Amino acid sequence: MCGGRHGSPVPDLTSKLRVLMNSTLFVLASLDGLSYAALVFLVSVGLSLIFGVLRVVNVAHGSLYAFGAYLAATLSLLVTPISPWLTYPALLVASLVIGIVAGGLIERLLLSRVYGREEVLQLLITFAVFMIMDNLQRMIWGVQPIYAAEPLKLLPNVSIFGVSYTSYQVIVLPVVAVLALFGLRYFLRRTLMGSVILAVTEDREAATAIGINAQRVYLITFIIGATLAALGGALASPTTSLVPGMGTEMIVLSFAVAATAGLGQIEGTAITALAIGMARAFVIYLQPEFEVLVPYLIMVAVLLVRPEGLFGATKLRKI
Amino acid sequence: MLSFNKVNVWIAGVHVLRNVTFDLRAGATVALIGRNGAGKTTIARTTMGFTDTTGEVRLAGADLGKVAPHQRPGLGIGYAPEDRRLFSAFTVEENILLPARVGKLDVAETKRRLDRAYTVLPELATLKARPAGSLSGGQGKMAALGRALMLGTKLVILDEPFQGLAPVLAQRYAEALRRLRAQDADITLLITESNPKLLETFADTTITIERGEIEVASQAA
Repeated sequence: MCGGRHGSPVPDLTSKLRVLMNSTLFVLASLDGLSYAALVFLVSVGLSLIFGVLRVVNVAHGSLYAFGAYLAATLSLLVTPISPWLTYPALLVASLVIGIVAGGLIERLLLSRVYGREEVLQLLITFAVFMIMDNLQRMIWGVQPIYAAEPLKLLPNVSIFGVSYTSYQVIVLPVVAVLALFGLRYFLRRTLMGSVILAVTEDREAATAIGINAQRVYLITFIIGATLAALGGALASPTTSLVPGMGTEMIVLSFAVAATAGLGQIEGTAITALAIGMARAFVIYLQPEFEVLVPYLIMVAVLLVRPEGLFGATKLRKI
Repeated sequence: MLSFNKVNVWIAGVHVLRNVTFDLRAGATVALIGRNGAGKTTIARTTMGFTDTTGEVRLAGADLGKVAPHQRPGLGIGYAPEDRRLFSAFTVEENILLPARVGKLDVAETKRRLDRAYTVLPELATLKARPAGSLSGGQGKMAALGRALMLGTKLVILDEPFQGLAPVLAQRYAEALRRLRAQDADITLLITESNPKLLETFADTTITIERGEIEVASQAA
């Protein structure tokens, strides 16, 4: 019965697993990784979608994330005295406003003029937008940290394997990420607009020849991608203090996720976000000095072996 | 029906079309003949609005220069490009139906046009559930013609449809075109081809293009 004490491998493994499952560290790191991966996925999939359709690496994507976070926090602080529950629609409204207004303006005023031009021009333009938005952010919201945790506080904590964690982070964020994943899949594969986006992605000229307005498709796609970035920021806002530079950290991380998955790969982005989110969370507990390094080590290792990314096709563009 | 008046096109600094002028009557079957690089595809792409052009392109009197490329199919122009260019993410029927869905055709009109495509190209009915990316070259050309027929109520442009087809497939494609002509006398067919013999018994009008210039334009009596 107690063979484990005498070296029998099965009980030994069981006891190790028991220790592992009871390990607060393991559970905590897993939950951290899960909630962080949900946010990273939302931002990365927007970046990936924009690249898949427009063939533009949007360096300003992190700024849209930061603007989503700041506007969400501002609106949350405004509506909290009326009813704390209004902070939830405030998060959504902030995402839509940033996605539609900022995303729409960036695409119409700037990107639409450089489609098909040299990639370096597109990079320079989105980098300029990033710089402008970064300064705008400091002008509007200042440099002092902003904290608006009402949506987080409204929901009770849950206990998972003995670890108490906010249900906002371990339930709301992953559920929103999963809804975004399946919503995006449904939108692209089951709706006319999704079919039109796929057609333009595959062959813009052939799509135009059957009556598709590719310019409109680009605008809509950019707005969707920008809204996803802003949604990531809005959902992150109750979990952290907002400080200048938060967008920079996110764009670099989300680019690592999107590149590791293969740009334009939606399902692959979800899996990679989870893997990188988890790896980052575990490293924070085990070897915190490697926190920043780990996502890029994974990216470099993958790209050295598969330049098209884990889920990317060599030639076929997929979204 | 379709007219070019002193049309010039430059692509990457190369003068590809030089003062191209012609006028096609409604219901004509036109063979646009020329060697590779002569400018046949550029004439097709110019009609669809994919080139920077000087001069005048008109369809049934309407100045196409004022019509955005994505609005031109709505005028009744169907275009099957040289290299098929089907959307591999969709099945054959999804490819054929997409122009109707984009153009928001009503159910009855969509069915009428789909029936026309299947009547002209009966083999498409057996291929309709196949992923477009899995089709052979000949099947792909048929599917591209089917898709063009969903839009081409006035003008159908077929760019090098016989290129790369095995003789038996080329014959079947030619039969499909004859069925289309027999079914619809008013439609204008513009077919580009590098081999003049392939279309000599089918076309009633021949335009020969060489180095971007129209050399001969002849119309059967």
